[in-house]
Amino acid sequence: MKRLEAIPRVSTPLAAATVALLALALAGCGPSGPATQVNQPTGTVPTSNYTGPAPQTVDVQHFQVSLWNNIRSTDRCGGCHHQGGQSPMFARSDDVNLAYQAALPLVNTSQPGQSTLVLKVGSGHNCWVASAQACSDTMLTWIQNWIGGGAGASEKIQLVPPPQQSVGGTKLFPTDSTAFQTLLWTPILRQFCWQCHDPNSPTPQAPYFASSDPNQAYLEAQPKINLDDPASSRFVERLANESHHCWATTSGGGPDCPGSAAKMLAAITAYANTIPVTTVDPTLVISKALLLQQGIIASGGSRYDADTIAKYEFKEGSGSIAYDTSGVSPEADLTVSGNTTWDNAWGVIFGEGSRAQALTTTSQKIANLIQTTGEYSIEVWASPANITQTKADIVGYSGSDAARDATLSQSATQYQAETRSSKTDTNGDPPLLTSMTGNFAQAALQHIVLTYDPVNGQKIYVNGQFTGDADPNGGGSLANWDNTFALVLGNETTGDRQWLGEIRFLAIHDSALTPAQVLQNFNAGVGQKYFLLFDVSSVVGIPESYIMMTASQYDNYSYLFYDPTFITLTANAQPQNIAVKGLRIGINGSIPTVGQSFSTLDTSIGPPAYTAANGQLLSSVGAVIGVDLGVTNDMFFLSFDQLGSQTHVYVEPVVPPNPPTTDNTPQPDLGVHLFAEMNASMSAVTGVPVNDAAVAAVYAAEEQSLPAVPQISSFTASEQTAVSQLAGAYCSELVNKQQYRDAFFNSPTLDANLSGAASFFNTTSNRSIVITPLVSSLAVGTTVDPTYATALQNELGALLGRIPTLSVSPAPTVATATQAACQAALGSAVLELK
Amino acid sequence: MKHRSKNRRHREGLARRATCGACVLALLAAQAAPPALAGPYEQARRIYMRLAGVPPSSTVLQMMENKIATEPGQQGLLDAAVIATDPKYAPDFYDVTLKEFVNPWTNRNQSAFVPFNDYTATVIGMIRDDVPFNTVLSADILYTVNAPGLPAPSAANNDHYATAEADGVDFSTALKQTTQSGEYGLPVQATAGVWTTRAGAAAFFVLGTNRAQFRFTMINYLCHDMQTVMDNTRPTDRIRQDVARSPGGDSRVFLNNCAACHSGMDPMAQAFAYYDFSTTSNQLVYTAGQVQPKYLKNPQNFPWGFVTTNDDWSNRWRSGPNADLGWDASLPGSGEGAKSLGQELENTEAFASCQVAKVFQTVCLRAPTSSTDQSTVANIEALFKQSNYDLKQVFQQSAAACAGS
Repeated sequence: MKRLEAIPRVSTPLAAATVALLALALAGCGPSGPATQVNQPTGTVPTSNYTGPAPQTVDVQHFQVSLWNNIRSTDRCGGCHHQGGQSPMFARSDDVNLAYQAALPLVNTSQPGQSTLVLKVGSGHNCWVASAQACSDTMLTWIQNWIGGGAGASEKIQLVPPPQQSVGGTKLFPTDSTAFQTLLWTPILRQFCWQCHDPNSPTPQAPYFASSDPNQAYLEAQPKINLDDPASSRFVERLANESHHCWATTSGGGPDCPGSAAKMLAAITAYANTIPVTTVDPTLVISKALLLQQGIIASGGSRYDADTIAKYEFKEGSGSIAYDTSGVSPEADLTVSGNTTWDNAWGVIFGEGSRAQALTTTSQKIANLIQTTGEYSIEVWASPANITQTKADIVGYSGSDAARDATLSQSATQYQAETRSSKTDTNGDPPLLTSMTGNFAQAALQHIVLTYDPVNGQKIYVNGQFTGDADPNGGGSLANWDNTFALVLGNETTGDRQWLGEIRFLAIHDSALTPAQVLQNFNAGVGQKYFLLFDVSSVVGIPESYIMMTASQYDNYSYLFYDPTFITLTANAQPQNIAVKGLRIGINGSIPTVGQSFSTLDTSIGPPAYTAANGQLLSSVGAVIGVDLGVTNDMFFLSFDQLGSQTHVYVEPVVPPNPPTTDNTPQPDLGVHLFAEMNASMSAVTGVPVNDAAVAAVYAAEEQSLPAVPQISSFTASEQTAVSQLAGAYCSELVNKQQYRDAFFNSPTLDANLSGAASFFNTTSNRSIVITPLVSSLAVGTTVDPTYATALQNELGALLGRIPTLSVSPAPTVATATQAACQAALGSAVLELK
Repeated sequence: MKHRSKNRRHREGLARRATCGACVLALLAAQAAPPALAGPYEQARRIYMRLAGVPPSSTVLQMMENKIATEPGQQGLLDAAVIATDPKYAPDFYDVTLKEFVNPWTNRNQSAFVPFNDYTATVIGMIRDDVPFNTVLSADILYTVNAPGLPAPSAANNDHYATAEADGVDFSTALKQTTQSGEYGLPVQATAGVWTTRAGAAAFFVLGTNRAQFRFTMINYLCHDMQTVMDNTRPTDRIRQDVARSPGGDSRVFLNNCAACHSGMDPMAQAFAYYDFSTTSNQLVYTAGQVQPKYLKNPQNFPWGFVTTNDDWSNRWRSGPNADLGWDASLPGSGEGAKSLGQELENTEAFASCQVAKVFQTVCLRAPTSSTDQSTVANIEALFKQSNYDLKQVFQQSAAACAGS
């Protein structure tokens, strides 16, 4: 459980505010979970070689098991902070009780993340791996494992007034690094700092602000430079106050820290002077400004990690290693390869041809520890790139396509689990699939947990909830697991089951998490969250009044803001009817137009919505705001259409209307009849009704082959064929059914000769029996241009004259020739075109 | 076709050969049909063919020719077009042309090859009876078929309409105006024109999230698919939880694409929050005061997204680039339920121009892209609004405009 605690700047009694913010913290941190659990012993240094006094208390024993065993080796803290070595001697191996006494001042039990031990290794001090962040996280895990059992599990979040920074008074690092190179990098950093802070130096030490690559140096130097207040730059303070690698400022002289600091200050001041102040519209109603990092850290401490045997938080942000910070040795660090991108909000994005894989030797602990308990959990925060990918492995402990111990994968909108057990084959099949109708896999950040226990077998939880899908195999024994496999993410070890998406967190536990533990870890969330206290005191007239936002870097391209809450640290403050309208999040002096979710806010601060205990939540939705200059530089503020009595009318930019698109290219003046028109036209011409059974059957078969669009340029040969088929149906009925035939041709002569030879049409008069009614029904009207009728007459006459000469079997009859003439007429442009 | 007789195959063989002759005829007709100088005969015939979709009878053609000959100018052409839309003289305008015109609006595939249904019947009836077309998304209106031997209209099936079509019923006379509330028992306040017809609900309220109803309305009635109304500068507060803000770990997709549609669409599609089409009962379901579960899907995709609690809708497109759609300033731009949203949409400039453009394209066989055609449709649009949204007049005016000269 996490709590917030106000640390007011003023010295007046603030019991009410403290209580209020404590309650607020409870509300702001989501559902409370159980206290942090005692971790299992994870010592990697054998304790059997310890021959000193036994732990005097239970807490010392926890210290020994969880922290001391892990740090006392000579390649870690024990290399210096041993007995008789550098103080404090918290890693001494001769007496664990003395080490405990030395370690206590170095641990912050209320905020473990602020422990000296964590901060020290996090700054790169004797970190035993290449990533100070990984050392920091691992140290934090060890400390939490210790104090979780011995010093209480709750973590307090202390609300403290933020720095006072005005919007628009901010200088922002320009994209161009030329001035930096000229004024700082070349004359100072490359002169005096390169022997450590250059990745190519003999003793490389991050950050690499003295890198031979000026762009890398520029990015790494920025956090050490305060453009608004050069004297408070870390570069200056390090020299002036900490005598860190000062240099001689006079020829032949010794290291001169005041002189070095002065020279550094002069250089930074000169550089800062080249950068203009970013101004903001003075008419805006705004809060004070904050960087994300100036917020109060709001995450951590509420996860269930008692049985975690491998953990990856992907905080590295660069490089090819994702560190296992579980604290359980050996660390199964992942080598990230292929088309991957680091997410600065903690995560790795897997593209085509990518994976992250641990060595089989370090992965071995997974099989060994899980086989001991007979159960396990794979817990991952993942964001699938799409919901169409199949055979896409998210996390696996596997040897190949055909041999695995455990794999969690995606199959379109389903998640799939395969666990090798006594109930399955060596590939873990048959698999457990979440239901297709459940659509559990979404292209969104999801918390997915696969658990296995000997009774239930596999269970999959998505976003804290069991999917309800039972393992077809049930539970079994894991005794047949192969410990020569490798932990692999985003793919199969053979590289042919690519998963696309982002993994932001992975933990492997050697227990089957209970539903409550799954929910607890889901509620703990992922990534670093901050409470940003935007000062609005001067606007609302109440000292130390803030709009507090919960904020985080959402991914590489945006920030997430939510739970905007009005609070005040001033005791006994009673805000009344403070209007809040149109809240917008500003960044670096301007207000982005995209992603503003609070711009429609229209409420009033005051009781009963406002309480001293909870403040007042202003909105329940969140806003995603795009990154501007980067997480270390983006300075946020809030703007209001109205706050209290101050107003600013937001003017919507006027967008000119879209001009019509004009295309004067001549278009065809004709088109073809569509399917139903064609049908109705043939019916109208022949007198055969559309619901005649024979016709209706052909129409039903041919309907979708007839023209569906009128554009003559789209008319195709297949459509002409369908037209001909339909015309054939109508003409067949017309010729063969007497009532239609008589109504149309009205010729006893034709009736009498239907079965006779087609030579019947060798005479003009007989041809006219058929041609005349066809022409008059198609070329209707008394004023019809005679050339049209003549053209039609001539074509049909030629056709009827030609049919008797055809050498076909059986020989054409009057009926077949009549139908042919009818079909030719109906299937012609005379009827098709409009 | 597999069981055709030998004789029939023979006849069809002849027919195919005959069709080659038809190709020649087609060429001839194609050369002859668009006369350089069209007279009353050619104009009347084209007007009728374009409106009714079938050749006219000699009598009707003569009537139309007379109108054109005796009333020079546009009035004669218009009067001829009036004949070609009169159920007495041109039932196929309703039975054929309008059916083909409306059917694609009634399904997601935009296919014209669908059974006759209450959506199509209602639009045809409104056109026939000169019902103001700017109520097509809001009115408590329904057309049934008044013909013997048909199953009774039902909220649970389409048999009434499909049978009428199979029987070859003349819709120009058989369609009868009634109400959805009376026929289907839908509460009056829940009726919203074609949206709440059975076919409209079956196509666009089934499964999903009801956003389809909004999107296809934009396509069919405002002539805009979502990509032409994308605007990512609108507030994102009403985008539901089911829309991922960082799909695949890349929020640029959301900020640049998803938000551009959903920021405007979601607050308006909230008007449909009480509607669903049940695949069990096969009919529209309306739950007054109770949001359908489909509105609350996948809440963890973005827990800080909007949670729908009612059917209040809000039009965020009244400002920004989509103000260009021409919203009616006399309407409030927000409301409760589908009926008022329908009024919001059907009283836009875009709605009026879209109906005219669709009709013009149907009758003139080309999109109004030339400067001349744009001027023509602008005039027709003005008349459309002046005539209290009489869509039949738009057909008549378009046919007159494209009669040839």
